[in-house]
Amino acid sequence: MLDQEGGLVRGTLDLLVLKALSWGPRHGYAVAEWIHTITESELLVEEGPLYTALHRLEKKGWLVSEWGYSEANRRARYYRLSTSGRRQLRTEVSLWERYARAVGRALAAQVPSVA
Amino acid sequence: MRRVFRLRFARRHLEDEIDEELRFHLAMREQSLMQRGLTAGDAHLAAHKQFGDFATVRSSLLTLDQERERSMKRANVLDELKQDLAYAGRMLRRNAVFTTVAVATLALGIGANTSIFALIDALLLRRLDVVRPRELVVIGEPSRVGSLSSGSPRTDLFSYKAYTELRRRQQSFTGLLASGRTPRLFMTVGDTAGEPEHPRGRFVSGNYFHVLGVPAFIGRTFGDEEDANIGASPVAVISYDYWMQRFEGDRGVIGRTVRVNSAALTVIGVARPGYDGEIVGGRTEMWLPITMQPVLMANHDLLTDPTDSWFLLIGRLKPGLTLAQAKGEMETLIPRALMDISPDREFTDFVRNMTTSDIRVADGSRGLSGMRRTYFAPLVTLMAGVALLLLIVCANVANLLLARATARSREMTLRVALGAARPRLVRQLMTESLVLSLLGAGGGVLAGWWGSRVLLTIAADGGGPIPVNVAISGTVALFTIAAALLAVVIFGLAPALTASRVNLADAMRAQARSLSGGGMGGGGRGRRPSPARMVIAAQVALSLLLLVGAGVLVRSMWSLQHADIGMDRDHLLLVDLDPRAAGYLGERYPAIALDLAERMQRIPGVAAVSFSENGLFNGTESSSTVGIEGFTARSDKDSLINWDEVGPGYARTIGSHLLEGRDLTVQDRGPGARVALINETMAKFYFQGGPAVGRHIQLNPDSAAYQIVGVITDAQDHDLRATPSRRAYFSILNPIEVGPLRMIVRTVGNPAAMANTVRQVVVDRDRAIPIYGVDPLPALLKSNIRAERLVAKIAVGFGVLALLLAAIGLYGVMSYAISRRTGEIGLRMALGARPADVVRMVVWDATRLVLVGLGIGFLISLFAMRLLRGQLYGVGALDPASIAAAVSVLLASGALAALIPAMRGARVTPVEALRED
Repeated sequence: MLDQEGGLVRGTLDLLVLKALSWGPRHGYAVAEWIHTITESELLVEEGPLYTALHRLEKKGWLVSEWGYSEANRRARYYRLSTSGRRQLRTEVSLWERYARAVGRALAAQVPSVA
Repeated sequence: MRRVFRLRFARRHLEDEIDEELRFHLAMREQSLMQRGLTAGDAHLAAHKQFGDFATVRSSLLTLDQERERSMKRANVLDELKQDLAYAGRMLRRNAVFTTVAVATLALGIGANTSIFALIDALLLRRLDVVRPRELVVIGEPSRVGSLSSGSPRTDLFSYKAYTELRRRQQSFTGLLASGRTPRLFMTVGDTAGEPEHPRGRFVSGNYFHVLGVPAFIGRTFGDEEDANIGASPVAVISYDYWMQRFEGDRGVIGRTVRVNSAALTVIGVARPGYDGEIVGGRTEMWLPITMQPVLMANHDLLTDPTDSWFLLIGRLKPGLTLAQAKGEMETLIPRALMDISPDREFTDFVRNMTTSDIRVADGSRGLSGMRRTYFAPLVTLMAGVALLLLIVCANVANLLLARATARSREMTLRVALGAARPRLVRQLMTESLVLSLLGAGGGVLAGWWGSRVLLTIAADGGGPIPVNVAISGTVALFTIAAALLAVVIFGLAPALTASRVNLADAMRAQARSLSGGGMGGGGRGRRPSPARMVIAAQVALSLLLLVGAGVLVRSMWSLQHADIGMDRDHLLLVDLDPRAAGYLGERYPAIALDLAERMQRIPGVAAVSFSENGLFNGTESSSTVGIEGFTARSDKDSLINWDEVGPGYARTIGSHLLEGRDLTVQDRGPGARVALINETMAKFYFQGGPAVGRHIQLNPDSAAYQIVGVITDAQDHDLRATPSRRAYFSILNPIEVGPLRMIVRTVGNPAAMANTVRQVVVDRDRAIPIYGVDPLPALLKSNIRAERLVAKIAVGFGVLALLLAAIGLYGVMSYAISRRTGEIGLRMALGARPADVVRMVVWDATRLVLVGLGIGFLISLFAMRLLRGQLYGVGALDPASIAAAVSVLLASGALAALIPAMRGARVTPVEALRED
């Protein structure tokens, strides 16, 4: 279940990236920082795969990138959600919630079999 | 080169962006680590460590970005195409008149090409509709589908004996079939005493259907039993089409008896739908076993004599064998087989003199065809003509587009001002042209389908229909699309480039100039000629080519139609009979001929009657090597003559003149009458102007010589184009062999009007004598030059079309020029020019343009017309009369086309001109 993408369950990183951008355009570093903060550095072990995710999502048309200037006035690549990206985020969130609920219920079970 | 560079450039650009993005990330991370107290060096290392494998990430980003870029580009192109198409549709709809004219013109041009190409496809390109046609090999000369040769061994056709011998011994083929002509068939069904019908028949070997892989639709096809015994297989297979048409698809036809040339045959099968024989342009309706030939042609066995050659052979190659291997085998096998079937000295000599080029083995996938040879050159000529026509059509459409380009300059200026790049504009305009052309191609396919049928009707020339299956096949459709695309490039590119050549500064200046009212535009002297004018000149040049071509072809046809052929070409009627079938053999043969002649002679309106074995333009030909008294031949060729056996009064009847001696008479009858007439060419060749009468010809070394009793003027006998050959005429009243009989009736009036009366004479005398045809000589001559007549007629049609298109084009350009020069004309009028001066000026302007075109056209014709030379008769390729006619017609129509706008221009008043601006 764990793969190379920073040690995350496949698709989780994509979901986090989409979520990170749901408040507006950010550059890659800001996305990384948000993920570190929000997950207390539990999830993103390596930062490189974050960029693979960003570019992959852009290729899929869920993100749009533009060059802009950072707070420190440095040229940086900003990403924002496209309309289809926003739609994708909603679908993935609900999918994830259903998945998590199901796994949670299974782990909380007290009865060995249904029979 | 450039493309590669651009790709690299794009890649560089992506790499730079990735590097910048990642550098930013690492810098930020280092900064944050340093804020937590790390040294610069440690922060650098830690930032990289936290990032992970930099090189891998970087390369995967590059791949992703490149893929994204590519798919975006693709989407863009599609998007733009969709936009262009929608825009083109809107523009073309808005200019309905322009669109209709352009599409109709293109449909005409493309349709004409499609129709000719459909014929080329049907006759020259398409493969037989049989199993794996590429495996088929033809042995013999494939154009001799309707030939029969007797008297000497051959390799372009085969005798039945030669065929069976080759079939038995060959190793190259899984099967070898034979196919040969039938005489005209007379079929009656059941006991209906009505008029006999004449299905198109073919004698074929028993393995015919198996070798070709054509199954029966119902019943069965032939098998080996049909080859087993002569006269023992009274059966027939009919084609699906004939079954549908004659028997209305009645399944009960199987087992039915039909009478064909007085033999009772049982119909045993109907061939698979769509199969109509191996002869292209000669749809077969009924197949008969070869073994039935002696029964169907009573008293005329063509299977026994090894010199009676009338079969073409088709083999199916064994898997893995090539045509060359099969040819190799035939080169050794055919001579051996010929030697083995006849111990005759003639065969031994023939085989000894044979070379490998005498063995004709060729690809058989396209079947056999006599028409192919006749129509090859005409079709290629027509294709060239029709391609020229398409060029002229393209020129016209280009002119329409150019005129519109000027009208649209405001639109283009606007689009450029709004930021459209020129390539984008060109693409947009080309898309419009493409839509036009494809619409034209659609119309062209319909027009072509109809046109090829019309062509066949014209080709038939009032005779029977030509059975060629023209269809819009895949090849034809591809051709049409290719023609349409080519047309787009030709007619669309120049206007697109012109229209998109927008210079904002110029455009603004033009506006300013029109405000100041001094527009002295138009095609004046000293300026670069406008594209429209160049197109017109090209069009005139092409039209000249077509018109000169049409002119020489018509003159050639006229020469053929009016050439002195050495006989009374307008008053002869030819009756093709076979008295042998009714039992007139030996002494009865000359007797029936004389009797029929005498009866026909009594018909009022008949001037003279004679007869011959080979006939004129409707029959056969005999040729032999002969011995001439007092002449030593240097080679076999020198002693080869053509000959015929003719009746009394032959020379007088056909309208030939006696140069020496006498005509043949009724006294030249019986075994003692070894007399002959010879023609002028023969007399000159052998006797060099010395007396010929009294000399002798030795036809056969074993028998007595024939004495020459008269010399007559040359007459064309079977081909209008051939130069007269050496020809001798022996008395048919002392027959060398009993053959067919062709009555020759010379009439006072129109021979066609006498046809029925003459036919009735034969029927009344003995209705058992088959009448194969009653044809007036003019009709036979006409069909002899069918191909020439076809080409001439169509070339004239193309020429007229070209002229019309050129005139329309010129009219359009001149009208446009006048409208642009209104101001100038007004000024001239104000300064005292008379209307006549204006007309003269405009017409002269147009004439100059036509003259330039004529000059170019003339230079091209100097070379192009030479290609026609092989097809011309009695007229040179650069016939001055044709050129003069074409030039004057073009000049006149050019002036006429300019006159209308010129008159309009002459009515311009200075006031009007002022108001215009």
